Amino acid sequence: MIGYIAHKEMREMRRDGRFQVAAGIVMTLLVVSVAIGWEQYVTVSRQHEQARAETREQWLTQGKKNPHSAAHYGVYAFKPKSPLSLVDRGADPYTGVAVWLEAHKQNEFKYKPARDANTLARFGDLTASSVMQLLIPLLIILMSFSAFAGEKEQGTLRLLLSMGVAREKLAIGKALGIAGGLGTLLVPAAVMGSAALMLGSEEGAFSANLPRLAWMTASYLLYFAAFIGLSLTVSAMARTGRLALVCLLGFWIFNGLAAPRLMSDVSRTIYRTPSSFAFAREMESELKKEQSEEALKRKVMAQYKVEKMEDLPVNFQGIALQASEEHGNEVYDRLYGQLWDTFEAQNRLQQQGAVVAPLLAMRSVSMGLSGTDFAQFRDFSVAAEQYRRQLIEVLNDDITKAGKQEGPHLGDERLWAKAPPFVYEAPGVGRVLSQQCWSLSLLAVWATSGAALAGWAATRRLRAE
Amino acid sequence: MLQAIGLTKTYGTQTALHPLDLEVKPGEIFCLLGANGAGKTTTINLFLNFIEPSGGRALINGRDVAEYPLETKKEIAYIPEQVSLYRNLTGMENLEYFATLANGRELGRAKLMEYLREVDLPAGAEDRKVSGYSKGMRQKIVIAMAMAKQAKALLLDEPTSGLDPKASNEFSRLIGRLAGQGTAVLMATHDLFRAKEDGSRVGIMRQGKLRQVLNTDEFGHADLERIYLEHMHD
Amino acid sequence: MISTIVKQEWRLLQADRTLGAVVLLMGLLVGYSLYNGSAWVGFQRETLAGAEAEQSKRLAKLKQDLEDFEAGRKEPKGFQDPRSAGAIGGVTAAPHVAMPPAPLATLAIGQSDLYPYYFKLNPRSKQAILANDEIENPTNLLAGRFDLAFVLIYLFPLLILALGYNMVASEREQGTLLLALSQPVTMGQLVAGKVLLRGGLLLGLVVAFTLAGALVTGVDLGSGTVWLRLGLWIAMMTLYAGFWFGLAVLVNSWQSSSATNALTLAGCWLGLVLVAPSVANLLATSLYPVPSRVEMVQAMRRAGKEAQLKGSTLLAKYMEDHPELMPEGEKTQPDFASITYAVQMEVDKQVQPVLDQFDRQVTRQQEFADRFRFISPAILAQSAMNDLAGTSLGRYQHFSRQVDGFFEEWRAYFLPKIFQKTKLKAADLESFPRYSFREEEDAAITGRVGVVLAGMAAFSSVVLMVGFGRIKSARAAG
Ligand SMILES: Nc1ncnc2c1ncn2[C@@H]1O[C@H](COP(=O)(O)OP(=O)(O)OP(=O)(O)O)[C@@H](O)[C@H]1O
Ligand SMILES: [Mg+2]
Repeated sequence: MIGYIAHKEMREMRRDGRFQVAAGIVMTLLVVSVAIGWEQYVTVSRQHEQARAETREQWLTQGKKNPHSAAHYGVYAFKPKSPLSLVDRGADPYTGVAVWLEAHKQNEFKYKPARDANTLARFGDLTASSVMQLLIPLLIILMSFSAFAGEKEQGTLRLLLSMGVAREKLAIGKALGIAGGLGTLLVPAAVMGSAALMLGSEEGAFSANLPRLAWMTASYLLYFAAFIGLSLTVSAMARTGRLALVCLLGFWIFNGLAAPRLMSDVSRTIYRTPSSFAFAREMESELKKEQSEEALKRKVMAQYKVEKMEDLPVNFQGIALQASEEHGNEVYDRLYGQLWDTFEAQNRLQQQGAVVAPLLAMRSVSMGLSGTDFAQFRDFSVAAEQYRRQLIEVLNDDITKAGKQEGPHLGDERLWAKAPPFVYEAPGVGRVLSQQCWSLSLLAVWATSGAALAGWAATRRLRAE
Repeated sequence: MLQAIGLTKTYGTQTALHPLDLEVKPGEIFCLLGANGAGKTTTINLFLNFIEPSGGRALINGRDVAEYPLETKKEIAYIPEQVSLYRNLTGMENLEYFATLANGRELGRAKLMEYLREVDLPAGAEDRKVSGYSKGMRQKIVIAMAMAKQAKALLLDEPTSGLDPKASNEFSRLIGRLAGQGTAVLMATHDLFRAKEDGSRVGIMRQGKLRQVLNTDEFGHADLERIYLEHMHD
Repeated sequence: MISTIVKQEWRLLQADRTLGAVVLLMGLLVGYSLYNGSAWVGFQRETLAGAEAEQSKRLAKLKQDLEDFEAGRKEPKGFQDPRSAGAIGGVTAAPHVAMPPAPLATLAIGQSDLYPYYFKLNPRSKQAILANDEIENPTNLLAGRFDLAFVLIYLFPLLILALGYNMVASEREQGTLLLALSQPVTMGQLVAGKVLLRGGLLLGLVVAFTLAGALVTGVDLGSGTVWLRLGLWIAMMTLYAGFWFGLAVLVNSWQSSSATNALTLAGCWLGLVLVAPSVANLLATSLYPVPSRVEMVQAMRRAGKEAQLKGSTLLAKYMEDHPELMPEGEKTQPDFASITYAVQMEVDKQVQPVLDQFDRQVTRQQEFADRFRFISPAILAQSAMNDLAGTSLGRYQHFSRQVDGFFEEWRAYFLPKIFQKTKLKAADLESFPRYSFREEEDAAITGRVGVVLAGMAAFSSVVLMVGFGRIKSARAAG
């Protein structure tokens, strides 16, 4: 019975010219966006790979020089693009791509792609994720707003109910019909996307990303299910198809356009972001609170149990450099930690906004699993910073150990090679899931309550008149 | 007053109205009878220039409605099959609006009240929202509109369907009075009894053709039903 | 005749409470968005005031210090001589160059959250300075801001469509259309009356709320340029609203049901406001890809490495070219500062072609995108609104040209002194180059906005003409 109803729904849908046109457009956009995303991912990854190799090469071949000069020369770290960014570019356009790792300073990431983009970019990227987060819910609304309301208007509902069809079967049948219609569209797209991912990623990367892909698929299904449930609910409760359509479109606009902006405003008001001027000033004043050179000298002399600086078996310069480095590190950890905690608090609040707009949860999960959200940017920043500290420490140690020797102390390729190359491992799916647990559970709540509401509305609220 | 000359309407291959020749004189009530889909509404719509004729002409007071759409509309009043008004407005507000559109100027509440009294709308109802009106009350508002327009011709599409016998009797009297004042009336109806009672002539249509025109004073009620059914059966 | 229809419409809107809802919604949206805009402008102003205060405090201290050194009250000490041109030009007197928010900045946040609005200059490297950003959570940048421009570009058309999608269809569906058309009025008059009332109402509300909001948020309504911009803003909005009403009329002329009209119009809105810009962006980025910043960084690195290896040789070479910069009577060791600057100048020279190439490509893409603005009124509206609010790429470029110019001036002042190892005196402070922001000329803005207005006018007149042309000849029934 249910299968039969679903079948009828799908047949009606396929015959409806509006659905065909809309589905065709959505499908085209999906295919194009995946193709473009794939192309971008491949190009950018290649560039970053080359740059990574080159910056290492430059480091190793910088010639003989004072290790501290080498520390000032530094290296660059480039944020890698995650394979799943072909689905969701997330915050990537708004985070810098390169950071200079040098002595004394934790630099900011520079060169946000958005700043180089043309002004159209602010209308939003066309990515598979934007198609799935915005357009497919719209398609669902289009497919289901008249599911009950239309039958009411045509008068076919009275006929149906007079045949003794159970209302819950009717509702399930309709939901399955819509899901089936959507499936004919999404399954090929998903297959294509996975193929692109497989082709685009190097060996091993694909299988490593499979759990992320699986979770992503599951969460998008929850999101779509929520919309199907919601649309059927409204359709069952509204007197006319027109009313159902207007209500659903209103919700869609709130969910897709207004809520993300509203929640970002709210989160910014509650957790204030400092201006970069204020931030830099605080940084400056904190960095100045270094212990005096005299104090350090006393401490070092005590440590080596000598009376005079000349008697130190090590080079004090190296120790001083490292001490100032460590003071800086403490300040950077604290201040950047605070700043980034603020951002994460803002993002968490936005995720919680999914109580009223499921898009906020979906967006967060999708970015997280794609590896393009702020948390993973932070993870990379922290890794790059750790690497910087390690690198500088190697150099400062070398200066310290050089002791007092005649003439300037120079490092060479052997020393440069002592600092290992920078390798970054993206966090595993478990970490991402734990960051996204709020969003995931809210999505699940939306999906189940959507289904429950639809069932309730179909059995209790559906009137033939 | 109302004149059709070879008036035709086709939809694709289907002919809704075969060439129709018809004249309704001032003071005359012409009733169009016929089965569902016979072409009655089509005929009325053509006189209103709501649809474009496929051939022939519809004249009102000697002027072609397709050529003079606005001028001819000043001379006619129309009561649609489904009398629907702005549900959120009162009867008076509805009347005011349409009467102003019809006359190109406001008539004033007092004048409009006169018409409402004349159609016998229950006192006090004029300031209530139309959503609470019965079908007969809505009908009365529309008749008041026709009166306020002082139209020379009246086009009625099944005006008594759904009215109770008393209401349709009252309606007939009103129409009779208007005809008495010289208004030409063209009325589509399924009510053989009322057609015989009120009409001066009846026309029987089938499948887009006007099959027969009879003077009502030449036969009785039973005759009309017999003739009508004969036309429907062959 | 039309006035009767307008009056009737007014009654109808009042009777079904649409009016109250529209006024409330409009008020909330405009009010909230202006509050948001003014909060952002306030934040910018506060930051700039802070920077200004810090700078004058710094300069006052510098002046005091220099006077003390001159009078012998204090001894200069530290890694770098505090009287040296390098220390003063690069640190203690390093100037803030700022682009204060334009008079109407509260109306559209535009690109102003993405582009920096102040820099702290030093004579060393322009590139390093220009790459600085204001701090912002990337997730917030992604979401965009709830400003008036957002309300007008995205939501205002939806309100128009909500009021207009069933202008004719609803009358047809409730049966009053036939009654009305049996009177001596044309469908054209009927629709014109409806559009006039609804359009006038919405526009009037938006304009009134905007002006009120602008006043409350402290826009200075006294100056001519503000009125010019406001006038252009209102013209833009009127044409934009005209376009969407025209579209509603056009769709109503097809005589479909309300639900079909709603679907069609929602589709048009989606296509023009969401899909067209991203497709255009996609085309622009694929046809004129911006070269990779990563490659640019590497090119700069390569140039820098060579220059650094040559270090002191470079300085010697530089001195040969500029003998006038030789420190007087000295044949001493070249100092650290001089080498740094010589290297930096060389790096700049080497990197310039790479940067130029990069900028050319970005400009090409932007030009392409500018041409593509004309595919959607929404893009046109955004572009004009950002220009009028002074939050567009155009104004940022205007600012960054000034930064360029001032950087050159600052460098030209300090560089010779650095090479000559001049010790600066308190009196020199007066002769430092001074920066003040020059606002864009009205003519420049009018020029940019004019083109957009013309495009918008073409859009709205075409749909309005076609829409009304079709409605006028439309009949009551098929
Ligand atoms: N828009 C249209 N398209 C195609 N055919 C139409 C259209 N309007 C009417 N018709 C056809 O024209 C014929 C006459 O219809 P019309 O409405 O005039 O009948 P009627 O006599 O008023 O019937 P009823 O008693 O049911 O009101 C019918 O066969 C109908 O199917
Ligand atoms: Mg009929």
